[in-house]
Amino acid sequence: MAEAVYILCALTAVACAVLLLRAWKRTQSRLLLWSGLCFAGLAVSNVLLFVDLVLLPTSIDLYLVRILATMSSAIILLYGLVWDAS
Amino acid sequence: MLLKSMLNGATAMAWLACALFFLRFWKQSRDRLFGFFSLTFVLLAGNAVAAALLDLDDERRHYIYVVRLFAFLLILYAIWDKNRAGRHGTG
Repeated sequence: MAEAVYILCALTAVACAVLLLRAWKRTQSRLLLWSGLCFAGLAVSNVLLFVDLVLLPTSIDLYLVRILATMSSAIILLYGLVWDAS
Repeated sequence: MLLKSMLNGATAMAWLACALFFLRFWKQSRDRLFGFFSLTFVLLAGNAVAAALLDLDDERRHYIYVVRLFAFLLILYAIWDKNRAGRHGTG
């Protein structure tokens, strides 16, 4: 059950990133670029989640790396919203 | 542990700020896409708060990721909804 949720989280995050970045290419809207980059970061974080909790043994803990990836995604979007939103 | 809680807190704050920006866009443009985005980032903020409060070994932990999955599905629905509205508008 948990493994399926982790895989689905990663897949949906990748799908969001791809759709947003494709929309950005079409419309050149900067907001879509920042959102797309944010979801690309979230996709990385979710892939790491699966690698950490399912693939790697419990002795290796990627929690800090994962949360830093998530926080970077949020900060990238916030940066875009502060500088490009008008 | 303190560092992890602090990072989770900072992440929650950043998501909430993003949610507020999108809430403003939604109020200005009445575009549903922004409303969905705002809701998603509120969910992600709640997610980060829950992650900070739960123990690392808590067996309920994977429910946090169910909420996260729901948030991502909401974004996918929002994009699909937006595309459909766009096609409807032009065609």
